[in-house]
Amino acid sequence: MARDIISLDDLTVNNVGVFKKINQVVLPTTYSEEWYKESLEADQIVKLAFYSELPVGAVKAKTINSSHKIVSYENMQQQQINSKIIPNAIYIESLAVLKAYRGLGIGKKLLQFIIEQSKTRFVHEILLHVHVDNTESIEWYEKQGFTKSQDIIKDYYKAQGLENPDAYILSLTV
Amino acid sequence: MAGKKGTPIFSSREDANFREALKLFDSKQYKKALKLVEANLKKNSSHSESIALKGCCYYHTGNQDEAEAYILKAVQKSPENYLVDHLAGIYYRSVENYEEAAKWLKQSNDNGSPNKPILRDLSFMQTQIRDYKNLKDSRQQYLENQPGFRANWTGVAVALHLNKEYSNAVSTLVKIEGIIKDYLTEADRYEQSECVLYKNSIIAESGDISKALETLESDKDEIRDGLSFLEYKAKYLLMLGKNQEASVEYRKLLQRNPDNVGYYNLLEVSLGSISKPIDTRIKLYNRLSKFYPKSDPPKFLPLTFVPGSHESFKDLAKAYILPQLRRGVPATFVNVKPLYKNHKKLKAIESIVLEFFENDIKQLDPTVFVWTKYFLAQHYLYLNDLKSASTHIDDAINHSPTLVELYIIKAKILKHQKEYIKASEIMNEGRELDLQDRFINTKATKYYFRANKVDEAIECISLFTKIEDGSVNGNKDLHLMQANWALVETAEAYTRLYHEYQSKLSELKESEESNEEVEKELGENIELYRGLALKRYNWIIKIFKTYYNDQYDFHSYCMRRGTPRDYIETLKWEDKIHTTPIYIRVLKGLSNIYFELYNEQLLAKAEEEDDSSATKKQKNKKQKKVKAQANKKRSELIAKVEAEKDDTDPLGQKVVSDLLDSDIIESLFVLIKPLIDEGKDLRLTWEVLFKIYLIQGKYVLALQAIKNLNRILSRNEPIKLASIGTRVIELSDTLAKDNNVNVAIAKVVEKGINSAFPEFEQLSKSEFLQIYSK
Repeated sequence: MARDIISLDDLTVNNVGVFKKINQVVLPTTYSEEWYKESLEADQIVKLAFYSELPVGAVKAKTINSSHKIVSYENMQQQQINSKIIPNAIYIESLAVLKAYRGLGIGKKLLQFIIEQSKTRFVHEILLHVHVDNTESIEWYEKQGFTKSQDIIKDYYKAQGLENPDAYILSLTV
Repeated sequence: MAGKKGTPIFSSREDANFREALKLFDSKQYKKALKLVEANLKKNSSHSESIALKGCCYYHTGNQDEAEAYILKAVQKSPENYLVDHLAGIYYRSVENYEEAAKWLKQSNDNGSPNKPILRDLSFMQTQIRDYKNLKDSRQQYLENQPGFRANWTGVAVALHLNKEYSNAVSTLVKIEGIIKDYLTEADRYEQSECVLYKNSIIAESGDISKALETLESDKDEIRDGLSFLEYKAKYLLMLGKNQEASVEYRKLLQRNPDNVGYYNLLEVSLGSISKPIDTRIKLYNRLSKFYPKSDPPKFLPLTFVPGSHESFKDLAKAYILPQLRRGVPATFVNVKPLYKNHKKLKAIESIVLEFFENDIKQLDPTVFVWTKYFLAQHYLYLNDLKSASTHIDDAINHSPTLVELYIIKAKILKHQKEYIKASEIMNEGRELDLQDRFINTKATKYYFRANKVDEAIECISLFTKIEDGSVNGNKDLHLMQANWALVETAEAYTRLYHEYQSKLSELKESEESNEEVEKELGENIELYRGLALKRYNWIIKIFKTYYNDQYDFHSYCMRRGTPRDYIETLKWEDKIHTTPIYIRVLKGLSNIYFELYNEQLLAKAEEEDDSSATKKQKNKKQKKVKAQANKKRSELIAKVEAEKDDTDPLGQKVVSDLLDSDIIESLFVLIKPLIDEGKDLRLTWEVLFKIYLIQGKYVLALQAIKNLNRILSRNEPIKLASIGTRVIELSDTLAKDNNVNVAIAKVVEKGINSAFPEFEQLSKSEFLQIYSK
């Protein structure tokens, strides 16, 4: 058989524009220039997904210690793990697939990558925030085995200008 | 003192010194040589060899301006001294004045110089100035002196060939082949092969095709270039009417390269299938595409000859287009575009793609959707249906916003809507998706230029240029790398900018709300951008001079390497170099600016008398104040725009002022002159020449220019064009107003007009223009 039509590749300084573009059109939230700049550093958990050589999806995650309390989206984006604190989870900062390319297994492949990363980093939990109204995503994550937290984080997306700015936490134990 | 003709006697001490100096000069120790020569001249100021050598030394030691005076003095004193002649030749070669160089080198040889390499140098100069008649002699004489090198034989053959003495050229090549036959080593095989093929091409050029074919066959073992062998053979067979045999050769060629469209065409010529029924031809290509399933031509070519109304066209077109859309071939549209000249075919293709989009797209990969939309956007753009094109491309971008190609088409559509700034922004959006894509980087740069955003453009292209230490951008590298496209776009953007400022200025002056500050600023901007535009254009002119001068090295190199066929090609290319499209663009831009400057020059002359010195002084005072602040801004500007390091005229101010002090029209004529030979069939040539001749009062030539222009524009059909009619009137009016014109000449021109445009005599001007109104 020929090469897999879906493939993952590294983010580079030359295609970071693609990463921005995908997040911009898919996600309701915005990310800062520094955040994209930082995503190019060597230790980052980040990948682009290609369908038939066309970039259509992207994921970025970081290690955290889940005992820290997070109150807002911006707070979460800025948070850097202190080197003295031992991480116990991987937090997905962004995961997006262009609308026209959903249902083809691209998101799954990106998630697979995150799961592999958690293994190499010896953490057993994958976490993320999701907007309460984003049922499509919530369903998708649940299908991948994530469980939804009982309590809602109030006003998590407030500064992002979303209507009904609350968030759920989804988690997967691996 | 020089002695008898041609024999300088080294009798005196000066001569001994001179010889020493000559040695130093040869070993490039110019300063030491100069010292000796000057000592010589102190004792004997009329020692002409020393004077000449001083000139040569001056050239190399930074006194370029004074050098020629010494050369002229020396050759005036002793024109028959071969050493002086030789030195003059060397000097003129260094300043790339090949005409003079050839003259003096020839003189030196004629005056009995024992130095035979002069002949070789002379032959280079003669080729450079295309003096083929004398080239023959110098190559021949040098061969007689140095017959031991094949290169010299080849040189003679090339010279004879250039003089169209085919049989002599061939016999020269045959002779050296015979001499060298038993001594060829493996290393000589390439040269041997090339020379044999060169010989063959000359035989064919002389018209004796059957002899060419015969020779080709008998030389087969000498020829290493199998492709040329086959191509020559097939061509000869076809020319000799041996079609059956020719077709066998073309099939062999197709086996080597099944993507060469020319071979398919020639195969058809040799098979005589072009006049056969279409179904026969379709069958032929069907078979061929089975032989070469990966090649495009056998699938595509039937679409070119099957009429759009033919029943099988649609099926063939479907079989060609749809697999490409399914595979996501970006060039699908570009591939079928040549068929669009035929409207029926265009419509057929349109319905194929639309049907495909309607019926099949949902079941297919999402990428097929994008590529089909991409196709449709280009299709409607071709039809200039910009609204539909926009809809399709926007659908595509919404679907797959990460595909760079889509942004290129979107920008192109915007460009057609004259939204240059928006177009450049979209192109840049695409560029940011893939910064290492050189193609879109270039496109984005070009679109910035078109939007007159020169700084953004240069910054964009600088991603792919070398940026030297201390440079703020890659502008200098663009100049060094001879990036003509970028330079011409810069020049045109600067031109548009200064025209914009000009119209703002004249608006302001008309509105009577005189504002000196604003007016001054506008004036400065006009001056700045016009200077820069001229400077960019001139740089390209300079680059083309370099292209022309660069052939110099090949006059010897190609002979030694044994590549006479390519050498002849190079010479032919150089002979047409001024008709390169980009050069024509430069001449067009330059001539517009030159004519504008000429008009200003006229105005300035008229105003000179009125201009009171009082106003001038006032201006000066004001200027000083602002100067200090302006200086810093200026140096920042210069850093951005200078063409080379330590550019002496970074803003082109000197270029403009030099032009204004000169005969602008004559300078323009010098630029256009090469086109009289090379660009006979170019519109620009005669349009500009007409204007020049009219200004210069050369009315006979101006009429000639109109006639030539008419020949090109009407394409020998009896169309009466407005652009011709108005020019005829302009010529006649100018002639009538000119009081200085020679009566006889005026008569000749009038007669000429009447015989070329008989209606002019019979009708009134307005009636004439009514007829010439197409």
